[in-house]
Amino acid sequence: MGDATGEAEAKVDAQVNQDVLIMEQQRQIEEEISEAIPLVGAKEDLLGTLEKEYISDPIYSMKAKDLSSKYSSIRRTRPDGNCFFRAFAYAYFERLLTCKDDYKGFYDIVSKSKDDLIELGFPQFTLEDFYETFMEVVERIGSGDMTQDELHELFNNQGQSNYIVVYLRLITSGKLQRDADFYLNFIDGNRTMTAFCHQEVEPMFKESDHIHIIALSAALNVGVRVRYMDRGDSAQVIAHDFPEGSAPAVHLLYRPGHYDILYEQ
Amino acid sequence: MYYHGTGAAMEQVTALLARAGPIGSSSAAPTSSPPSSSSPPSSSSSAPAGAAAAAAAGGTSAASLIASAPGTSSSGTVALPTCKPSSQDALRWERRLQKELMAFVTDPPPGLSIDADAASQNLQDWTVDLRGAEGTLYEGENFQLNFKFNSKYPFDAPQVMFVGNHIPVHPHIYSNGHICLSILTEDWSPAHSVQSVCLSIMSMLSSCKDKKRPVDNSLYVKTCNKNPKKTKWWYHDDTV
Repeated sequence: MGDATGEAEAKVDAQVNQDVLIMEQQRQIEEEISEAIPLVGAKEDLLGTLEKEYISDPIYSMKAKDLSSKYSSIRRTRPDGNCFFRAFAYAYFERLLTCKDDYKGFYDIVSKSKDDLIELGFPQFTLEDFYETFMEVVERIGSGDMTQDELHELFNNQGQSNYIVVYLRLITSGKLQRDADFYLNFIDGNRTMTAFCHQEVEPMFKESDHIHIIALSAALNVGVRVRYMDRGDSAQVIAHDFPEGSAPAVHLLYRPGHYDILYEQ
Repeated sequence: MYYHGTGAAMEQVTALLARAGPIGSSSAAPTSSPPSSSSPPSSSSSAPAGAAAAAAAGGTSAASLIASAPGTSSSGTVALPTCKPSSQDALRWERRLQKELMAFVTDPPPGLSIDADAASQNLQDWTVDLRGAEGTLYEGENFQLNFKFNSKYPFDAPQVMFVGNHIPVHPHIYSNGHICLSILTEDWSPAHSVQSVCLSIMSMLSSCKDKKRPVDNSLYVKTCNKNPKKTKWWYHDDTV
């Protein structure tokens, strides 16, 4: 009798624990990653760092060589699902520090983005919070009141860094919903664009796909060149420009599941 | 945003949100900042005033908040503190919750109310009173929703469940108060708020056609963790 009850309880326990264990483990892995890698790292010599990483991998070594003929440095970002947005923001803001010509156009686009998003039905209350933090940073860059070191520090401050990521996610979502007729061609299944954005774009830590990159680069009119480094046959690291045909202002390295920042020679 | 992602349900939520109006504008006047925004967040007697000051402070730049934080000098130039991520982040979640509380109190969504004193005493633990909407299966019933926030809010979802001795009978609400709603876990976004979560739950109640408990209620209630966020939910049913 006692045994039977014990067994039944053990069974039930196993069912509970599995859920909890999986989530516990996931959290642990996430924590380990976040402790090991800064949100945005220091600039590293591209060839040196990649050659070391791929010392026993001929395909990737070859591609690292090819990449190093075009790019001199790499800056890693934390692989937390936000890497595309964080890398994009860091690289573009860094460019704006020196490239004043691009600032005005960018400022005009982002400063009216809030009203566009409210018009689309985003809740004004939370939107304003993210918009204000985002614009503070943009305005500091515009007024010359931001050094490279300060920018770097800001992006490694979890709170501020994530506020910027959230606002870019919302801009991306807004663009996808506004031009849903076009972007619906890129998503699978029977989801509406609104549902897709609620599930894959707006939540933190959800990874970005082509569709996110196309929408964000189009929304902000900022060209992005992504270099794809994978196991494909080509000896070269293939480039894709978003939006197609644009002049790239931001260069990113894609390795399956992750984006880092690249610096041209 | 809504669990199971049915188009109709989502439109309903959007409509509710639209009707709730622009709450942000009523509370935040970001143009002027009080000379000293170091008012303590929790003092029950002066709760509304404190919340108002905090809400106003919410509109000032983060830099000015940092500058007026105890321990840092407030020089005229805006300079980042050398490295105080923890205190800065602490300010952020408090600021956000104070703003939300202020908005909720000044312009409560229909059918919802909150004990603002209790919430401002402990910003990380809110209890919202919820009244079943007219013309729905829950008309005339009163429920209590509890929200618990950690310091990673709004990047981490709040822990939300029904509490008290009257838990709504609904196919996605367990008798221990746990709610199966995707925005509370994997579809949470920092653009959600207490208000939008409440409206989603209201909408979920209002669209219910058949008052019954989830099919796996008794097993789940016996075996689940106390914290609903620790459950690995499966959002499968899109009929209710």
